[in-house]
Amino acid sequence: MKIRFVNILKVLAFVCVASLCVYGASVVLRDKDSEYKYADFFDWADQIDVLFVGSSHVINAMNPAVLYGEYGITSYNMGGHGSIMQSTYWELIEALQYCEPKCVVVDTYMLQKDYKYLDEMDDSYSDEDRASSIAQLHLNMDCWPLDKLKIAAVNDLIKDEEIRKQFLVPFYVYHHRWDVLKSNDYKTLMGDGERSSLFGAEMRYGIELTPGIYPAPEDSNGLGGDTIGEEYLRKIIDECQRRGIDVIVTFLTCSASTEDKRAVDSAKIICDAYDVPLVNMQEMGVVDLYTDLNDTGHMNANGSIKATKCIGEAIAELGRCQDHRGDPAYEYWQEKTGEFYHDIYDMAVSSDSVYQQLNYLAGAESVSSIIYINDGSQAFGDNEMQRLIHNFTGTPQIYHTDGPYILINDVAKGKVYEASGTDSLDGIDIGLGTIHYQPVEHLFRLFYTDEDPETNLLYDDTKTDYDIQIITYDAESGEILSHNYFKSYGSNYTKG
Amino acid sequence: MQFVSFAFLLLLPVAALINFIIPRKLRYIWLLVISIAFYLSIDLKAAAVMAGTVVVTYGAALLMEKLMGDAKDDKPKSSLVVLGLSVVILIAAMLIFRSGKIMGAIGISFYMLKSVGYLVDVYRGDLKAEHNFCKLALFVSFFTQVISGPIERAGNMLPQFSYPVTVDFDRMRDGFLQILWGYFLKLVIADRLAIFVNSVYDAPTQVEGTVVAIATVFYSFEIYCDFAGYSAIAIGVSRILGIDVMKNFDSPYMSKSIAEFWRRWHISLSTWLRDYVYIPLGGNRKGTVRKYVNVLIVFAVSGIWHGSALTFLVWGILHAVYQIIGFITMPVRDKAVDLLKIDRGSLSHRTVRTLVTFLLVNLAWIFFRATSLKQAVEVIKKSFEFTPWVFTDGKLFKMGLSQASFNVGIAGIALLIIMDVLAFNGVEIRDRIIKQAIWYRWIIMIAAILAISILGIWGAGYNASSFIYQQF
Repeated sequence: MKIRFVNILKVLAFVCVASLCVYGASVVLRDKDSEYKYADFFDWADQIDVLFVGSSHVINAMNPAVLYGEYGITSYNMGGHGSIMQSTYWELIEALQYCEPKCVVVDTYMLQKDYKYLDEMDDSYSDEDRASSIAQLHLNMDCWPLDKLKIAAVNDLIKDEEIRKQFLVPFYVYHHRWDVLKSNDYKTLMGDGERSSLFGAEMRYGIELTPGIYPAPEDSNGLGGDTIGEEYLRKIIDECQRRGIDVIVTFLTCSASTEDKRAVDSAKIICDAYDVPLVNMQEMGVVDLYTDLNDTGHMNANGSIKATKCIGEAIAELGRCQDHRGDPAYEYWQEKTGEFYHDIYDMAVSSDSVYQQLNYLAGAESVSSIIYINDGSQAFGDNEMQRLIHNFTGTPQIYHTDGPYILINDVAKGKVYEASGTDSLDGIDIGLGTIHYQPVEHLFRLFYTDEDPETNLLYDDTKTDYDIQIITYDAESGEILSHNYFKSYGSNYTKG
Repeated sequence: MQFVSFAFLLLLPVAALINFIIPRKLRYIWLLVISIAFYLSIDLKAAAVMAGTVVVTYGAALLMEKLMGDAKDDKPKSSLVVLGLSVVILIAAMLIFRSGKIMGAIGISFYMLKSVGYLVDVYRGDLKAEHNFCKLALFVSFFTQVISGPIERAGNMLPQFSYPVTVDFDRMRDGFLQILWGYFLKLVIADRLAIFVNSVYDAPTQVEGTVVAIATVFYSFEIYCDFAGYSAIAIGVSRILGIDVMKNFDSPYMSKSIAEFWRRWHISLSTWLRDYVYIPLGGNRKGTVRKYVNVLIVFAVSGIWHGSALTFLVWGILHAVYQIIGFITMPVRDKAVDLLKIDRGSLSHRTVRTLVTFLLVNLAWIFFRATSLKQAVEVIKKSFEFTPWVFTDGKLFKMGLSQASFNVGIAGIALLIIMDVLAFNGVEIRDRIIKQAIWYRWIIMIAAILAISILGIWGAGYNASSFIYQQF
């Protein structure tokens, strides 16, 4: 009897140790995207006042760091890549188990999608689309622990029972990751894995040069009210209103198709019916379609800053969210906000892409800049370059010159100066000092300050074949921060 | 429910626990209940065929016993008629139903042979007819063997149902280790190699020659690991339930001749064919020519048993031809060995024989794997195109396996070979492990569990392929 008891104990102990080892392996092997995105959500859930939900448009456009920096409002970006309305609904319901936000901002991109299951979609989609749809759902599902709610969510989103397994038991799909493990995968085992520094948001830093423009629908009747997307938008609003949470519905600026615009009309009809505000950025002109998109669908960081400020204003108007700036309990939010602005600052001061640098300089609040383009530069034939310069000045001068051209954006004084052709700038007082600019010949021009007349800032013997120069200086101190040279080849630019 | 399924992994501990608790004399009923549930979970319609088989087998055996009475040598012809009729019914059912088109027929080739073997044993008087219907039904449908064997003998199984052994801790550990080894063979090696093999055999003419040759070698290991893996799981599970099942593989690729290969490969089928086909045909007792004819017949039957495609028949006959050539050339080969003063016991001589045997078996597997004779010939031709640059230009890793995964496959094969060499030389690894200290055993077992669960081919993106022999 005693032997039998000891053997039973041995078996139980073995099962425990083996289970622990398999669990450890599952932690190391699981994909870290979801954990990376939501680590701060779980740690700071009790401080979150606003949730942003929706598709990848939300991920790239709604920046909690900016919202906190501008308004002191805490928020979390719950957007999911390829997230259609039913995925968004379940994401929100899961999140509401952990936090009690005062406001939910829900984006309506893909409202027109009218299929129930992500693994089934409809006939217009390929198998690759289905696989991608399933893979993308992992970002929004893996972080939630297995419980009744998660089972209900997976059952509602996925039809195939075999595919459901990979959401309920992630090891089912991730055990194959053994040959792609990186240091972060092991760090997670010690609870030390990497995490999003932007509270779930992701910034993109490219610029879409040719966004498409599509006609508006012929009527404003929307989609008819019967799509699955519309049904779940109503569910989201219902759920929030039932819990006493404010709802703001948005449509974020993108290269919207006619069908997208029809979906916005539907969103408007639903919002009117539920008496909730619709922020249709597409029509507000807050975000510049030609400089603030990373690609045809997603905003870049510059666009994100503008969009978040716009939404922040709408949230602040509702008056339920407190400004937490200065509250020691919210120090973490301040720290992460500072990190984000520092990244933007770095991008404005130095970037390998001339487009990118010009874009961030245009919105910079602590960095002034001097932009010089030599005569004959191919930049004068580049519409995008002209548009970015025009963003500083608002004047048409850049469109009518072959150079040389100079632009001074003095942020501290809030003034912009420009000159082109043989025009000079003489005795202008900017952060650097009192400057003098005089074009002399193709490869030579004078640019100096009264304080240091010996230094010609726009001439360097070794860089004469670079036709574009960007000098940045600190808006307050006038200290020169960077001096970048670019060479144009058509609309391609290489940094020197 | 398959061996490779969560449902089975959940069922097994429950089945073992209840089997452990209930009185010994009732265990066969519990095992029958599990077997019925297991089979029904795989294919409901096939259960009707299975039930019919049990009824025919049970009834025919009892009838023969009644007709024969106490007669030992002078059996009445009526009993022979009953045997003949029942065997014809069973074989016909196997041939008709095994395509699965009319009714499901999972494992039909295996349990039919068990039933035929039982009837012949009863007719010969080697075995008494089983009067307990449940025990006979359990023998035919025992869930660990029903899908892919081993093709057990009633003489070994029925007494165990009546007098099951006590399941002690050592037996459980031994069974558990065997199950782990089975899953390792199946999920880590066989299913991994299958990805490569399937990718090549889908379009062999589009692939470099050496890659095709490697795929064929991989197939030799795939089918071995797949079938031996199944058998190891079946034997291990049976052991945990208190039933000893016969060994089905005994380091077959260590064989030094084709005849030896067939003593080590799918032993339960080989011995069945020997006892119920080869010996009744006269075996080697009726002259050399008749012996060769008998060998041809036995291997043709074996080929047909594996499938109705011509490729299986060619595969079987090829093995027969190998053996006949072996018999015919034996004097010449012996003479050459004597003249060259080759030490028959030397490692080099044994290694060469093993390699030659493996290559012959490997060649035959091409027919077994190919979808048609035409494809088999293409594969053989392609395999002789020597393209060694595939080892360095990365083409080897474009057949569905990444370099890391390919390396795991190679490491798995290396481990298998080491284990087989040890087993061939009488070293039983499981016994060695069981004799070690508890921490040592645990490390090995947990490492095996982790290797199977991490490196195994299962889960999303992969459908753990069915055991190859399940189709037969």
